[in-house]
Amino acid sequence: MLAKLRAPGWYRAGLFTLAAIAFAYVLVGIVRSAMHFPNAWDDGDAITIVSLIAVPLFVLVGIGCFDYWFYWVSGRPTRPEDHSAHGAQSWKDYFRVNTDHKVIGIQYVCTSFFFLFVGGLLAMLMRAELAQPGMQFVSSEQFNGLFSVHAALLIFLFVIPVFAGLANFVIPLMIGAPDMAFPRLNALSFWMLPLAGLLMVGSFLAPGGSFATGWTAYAPLSTTMPLGQLFFTIGVQFAGASSIATALNFLVTIITMRAPGMSFFRMPLLVWANFSTSLLVVIATPFIAASQFFVLLDRALGFQFFNAFVGAGKDGSVLMYQHVFWFYSHPAVYIMMLPGFGIISEIISVKSRKPIFGYRMMAFSLIAIVILGFTVWAHHMFVSGMQSWIRIPMMITTAIIAVPTGIKIFSWLATLWRGVLHLDTPMLFALGFLTTFTCGGISGVMLAMIPFDIHVSDTYFIVAHIHYVLFGGSLFTIFAGVYYWFPKMTGRMYDERLGKLHFWATFVFFNLTFAPMHVIGVQGMPRRVADYAQQFAGMNLAISIASFLLGLSMLVFLYNMVVSWRLGPRAAANPWRALTLEWQVSSPPPIFNFDAVPTVVGGPYEYGIPGAVHGIFQSPAEAKPMPAGSVATSPTTE
Amino acid sequence: MRRHPIIQMVAIGAIASAIGIALALWINWFPADAAKQDHPIDTLYDVLLIVSIPIFVLVLTVILYSVWTFRMRPGQENEDGPPIHGNTRLEVFWTAIPAILLVSLCSYAYAVLNDIEKKHDHELVVKVHAIQFAWTFEYPQAGGRSVVSPQLYLPKDKPVRFDIDSADVIHDFWVPAFRVKIDAVPGITTRLRVTPTKLGAFPVVCAELCGLGHAVMRSTAHVMTPAAFGRWLAQKQAPAAGGGGAGGGARQLTQQQLVALGRATFTGDGGCGACHTLAEAGTTGTTGPDLGRVLRGQSENAIRTDIVDPNARITPGYSANIMPPTFGQTLSAQQLDGLVAYLATVSK
Amino acid sequence: MEASAASLHAGAGAHVEHEHHGPPEAHRSSRVEPQLLGMLLFIISEVMVFGAFFTAYFFIRVVDASPWPAHGTELPKIIAGFNTAILLSSSVTVHWALEGVKRGNRFALKAGMLTTFFLGATFLFVQINEYVHIGFAPSNSAQASIFFGLTGLHGAHVFIGLCLLAFVNVRAFRGHFSPEQHRGVEVPGIYWHFVDVMWVIVYTTVYLL
Ligand code: HEA
Ligand code: HEA
Ligand code: HEC
Ligand code: CUA
Ligand SMILES: [Cu+2]
Repeated sequence: MLAKLRAPGWYRAGLFTLAAIAFAYVLVGIVRSAMHFPNAWDDGDAITIVSLIAVPLFVLVGIGCFDYWFYWVSGRPTRPEDHSAHGAQSWKDYFRVNTDHKVIGIQYVCTSFFFLFVGGLLAMLMRAELAQPGMQFVSSEQFNGLFSVHAALLIFLFVIPVFAGLANFVIPLMIGAPDMAFPRLNALSFWMLPLAGLLMVGSFLAPGGSFATGWTAYAPLSTTMPLGQLFFTIGVQFAGASSIATALNFLVTIITMRAPGMSFFRMPLLVWANFSTSLLVVIATPFIAASQFFVLLDRALGFQFFNAFVGAGKDGSVLMYQHVFWFYSHPAVYIMMLPGFGIISEIISVKSRKPIFGYRMMAFSLIAIVILGFTVWAHHMFVSGMQSWIRIPMMITTAIIAVPTGIKIFSWLATLWRGVLHLDTPMLFALGFLTTFTCGGISGVMLAMIPFDIHVSDTYFIVAHIHYVLFGGSLFTIFAGVYYWFPKMTGRMYDERLGKLHFWATFVFFNLTFAPMHVIGVQGMPRRVADYAQQFAGMNLAISIASFLLGLSMLVFLYNMVVSWRLGPRAAANPWRALTLEWQVSSPPPIFNFDAVPTVVGGPYEYGIPGAVHGIFQSPAEAKPMPAGSVATSPTTE
Repeated sequence: MRRHPIIQMVAIGAIASAIGIALALWINWFPADAAKQDHPIDTLYDVLLIVSIPIFVLVLTVILYSVWTFRMRPGQENEDGPPIHGNTRLEVFWTAIPAILLVSLCSYAYAVLNDIEKKHDHELVVKVHAIQFAWTFEYPQAGGRSVVSPQLYLPKDKPVRFDIDSADVIHDFWVPAFRVKIDAVPGITTRLRVTPTKLGAFPVVCAELCGLGHAVMRSTAHVMTPAAFGRWLAQKQAPAAGGGGAGGGARQLTQQQLVALGRATFTGDGGCGACHTLAEAGTTGTTGPDLGRVLRGQSENAIRTDIVDPNARITPGYSANIMPPTFGQTLSAQQLDGLVAYLATVSK
Repeated sequence: MEASAASLHAGAGAHVEHEHHGPPEAHRSSRVEPQLLGMLLFIISEVMVFGAFFTAYFFIRVVDASPWPAHGTELPKIIAGFNTAILLSSSVTVHWALEGVKRGNRFALKAGMLTTFFLGATFLFVQINEYVHIGFAPSNSAQASIFFGLTGLHGAHVFIGLCLLAFVNVRAFRGHFSPEQHRGVEVPGIYWHFVDVMWVIVYTTVYLL
């Protein structure tokens, strides 16, 4: 037993959780006594807040994320990396700290899909409440909590990490690297996520209910909220730290670990997409961390960043919060879209059996979006009362962002042209994405037009835009990507018939759910309300019914994934006849990806040229004898 | 393959766009239009629709056409498409056209923005105060106390300037029928200009999440003839004056009239029904307690305190700072008397 | 799953045969060292965190034109100036240590790292002392919040830097670094330089301007 408590793992994590709470209790007590506060030892609020920070950190130590570094910094001999943490041999290995990028990738994807389902269920509760005007199932307090947690989970624990997870699995394979540059950091970034998610979901148990200020958490509302708000404030710090660490890891991996011959312009576009996304993350994410620091300081330590009524007249600056927040959160919407663009590029090219049209422009437009993305944040603030002149340059840059995005859309269309289209599930989702995202992007451009935005800002028109770009955009690409790499990740094939059923149900009910929101938005239904005027009743009922069917269509996906992973037919190494490197190894890939580093000799998308290859497995000089089972060239395991 | 796929597609696209545009213009998008600001914004929206529908249709037609024409047929499993890597002319084209289009749209939007935010010489100034969860409208009067009201009254065809502030968190003042909105931000005063052009009553909505009463932070904007507006203002100014919209003069009211006035205030001016259920008044709000139930057997004085100083005593199960503390100022003495009388009667 | 089990075996076999654990050496596609690049990227993010706090400063002081510092308060420019000098000199000593280890001078390494650590600790001590005697609290005004926010954020970075320095010291005294193997000194050193440069900016904007 003692040995179990000392070895890294869940027992030790449990012990450390208790230690963290004790630590918080003692720390708060000592500090408050030192400052001569009354009742120094029983301030539940303060103890909870410190615990919220301490418990995740202690748990991370407990499960062993830091063990190696502790040895290193104390100057003790670090245990030589024996790679026992590579590969997963049973499902239990997915619940341990593991430094294999393929395991981490799957951990990411499964965790984030778990939070998609939780967040989606909250949306179902919301739609149930909104089916009729008046209040039926939840109080207005709970309703505010529902959409806040819904959005926070789906953004911070689903879309952003699931892309990181897919990329984690695929990118080292695609660039011919054995792993990420910093495998231990990679494991640490993953394990921060479930903790952040538990904080956010756990806020429902907080006294006073969950955080209820929307995912935007505008001050000063958020600084005056009950304890639940801090579960968001602190949860976001962990999610943010996780995504910064991952982004840093991707950048270093992509810059320093590409296979010989893979110049920047021979990288698959998914690698480009994650490269640009990671730039965004590294530069922008610190801003949301800071914005939530401000909230934390105001709420917990009595700072006055956002209190407009201290001192003589105006003092704290309320609008500052929004500038800092959106300076992250607008780029964040591209963090949630660019990796999807990468996935679509892979799929469209492979499934149309044609080279991607205008490869260089595809790469440059990603970079253009990154740069422009930093210049448009105030389009979320057209009605915020900021200096009115700022609106004009922001309107122009916002509109201009449609140009590089348009280049991508049109290039994909040109890639389809005269190809041989394989209309299987990944391709259907990719084509579905093209239509729904164009819709959402165009409504975005409408929103950029200030006079129109003044009318529809904070209405259901925005909710419609959000879901057309996030569901019809990001989520469609995620589905496409999950189906596309499912054989590679699990070694099994998914069920094509169920996949098609899933696509059609999702596509139809998605549009039925979210398209009518444009109409009620323009007609004047504000967002974030549990109760609404009688005139919107009919539409809302229709939306709710469609959304339940949309929810059910998710179950088809869930069933398909679970059953196919366990019982699906074995997948070939390269079922799609793709050229990129990840398909040149077995499914699932061998434990160290490649037995010899491949050499890249051509572009990634040379379809249609007979005999073209992207990479070859001839490490020229010391071609070792290949051990049995090293499957660099062997096609299938069955 | 067919000879002119492109021409065919252009034809299909043109027809589909035409249908799409017709449909989009046919849909009745906007709420009532009641201000001079409405028309330019509505037109901008129509233009945006007319521009974007063909773009969407273009994308859609190319996809559908490709799916139909280029889909893999049995026997083609191992075939590839032609290795086309790009076409510079085409790429320049689809960079330049959207760019030009967008810059023109921005210029147009800029013109509309200037139009709707134009200043006027003789503006009526209305101060709008937001507090969780109520609006207060203040009409500054030459050399005297201002007139305050929980509902918004405006004369038709007179340019109005709203000076908006907030006492606690961010709110957003929006009259959908006027198309314009702006946040009420603690610490600063924001401005909005409107010229009402249509008589009637239109909802005032709080459009920024401001806490749990956000959904019920509503009021009503009444656009009246200038003469009626003048009368309303005069009546509000008269020292001993009685109620707002709901009649009543300087004279003493009978108990019955008082109760009637109270009921009218409850459902109208006061907006109490948004939060409170009260069977007799037919309201079903759930943010506050069901008054028919909790007020049973309470004295008139206790009820009065509950209304003018709601935090003095908190109904068990509810929290403080939800019911707005402004009713003592925004409602007239007579309206308050009426409310108290009415609530005391119905909860007997 | 069988495939991965099979290749796991293969990996284990390879381990016995060639004394070669794990993956093949990755190809290096850039001359930049991964650790250095990682630290540089991390510093970019850190700069952005400070950027956000400076945004707050900018809004309160410039956009809202609030008086700086708040009425009736004063910032101890002189003491903080001395403190600046202390911190800057620690940048010199850490550089000395790094040059030392590169030339195989173990004394320079140890002495340099140790002085750097103590200079940094002195800085932090003076800073905390300043907080105690400054005469206002973060809750007094937004300006005070910004003051404590910016200097506190920097203080937190000094603290992190000190932890890193402590580790380097431990390893230096255990004799872990050599002219060939000194990344463990170089990378924390870069971080420490960053902390120093950041302080110059904080000092200038908060105390002097
Ligand atoms: C994946 C996420 C994502 C993406 C990619 C986008 C993309 C865009 N968004 Fe969106 N947006 C959100 C997520 C996203 N948005 C969210 C979550 C909010 C709400 C936040 C909140 O308040 O909670 C929001 C809110 C939001 C607002 C603020 C509204 C308000 O609150 O008042 C605005 C205003 O300008 C806007 C604009 C745009 C624009 C111009 C784009 C552009 O990038 C779109 C570009 C794409 C196209 C235009 C389509 C393809 C192009 C062509 C086919 C070329 C030809 C086209 C033309 C010439 C028009 N968005
Ligand atoms: C990736 C992001 C993402 C995704 C995928 C979704 C998915 C959905 N969203 Fe979400 N939404 C946001 C991001 C997202 N949303 C954001 C950012 C906001 C703004 C919040 C704010 O204002 O702060 C928002 C706000 C928002 C609102 C507005 C709330 C308000 O302003 O009052 C609504 C209302 O209908 C809504 C509905 C839905 C629905 C029905 C789905 C569905 O697609 C969900 C489908 C999924 C499931 C249902 C789960 C899986 C199914 C099961 C577990 C089976 C059980 C099924 C049944 C019981 C039928 N969302
Ligand atoms: C934004 C919501 C809101 C509005 C508008 C509102 N109330 Fe309330 N009211 C509440 C809440 C919440 C409580 C319970 C907490 C408290 O006692 O303050 C309450 C309590 C009361 C009580 C005390 C009940 C008791 O237990 O004795 C009375 C009386 C009352 N309201 C009357 C009114 C009247 C009259 C109006 C309109 C002029 C009004 N309220 C408008 C939310 C509201
Ligand atoms: Cu006030 Cu919403
Ligand atoms: Cu944006």
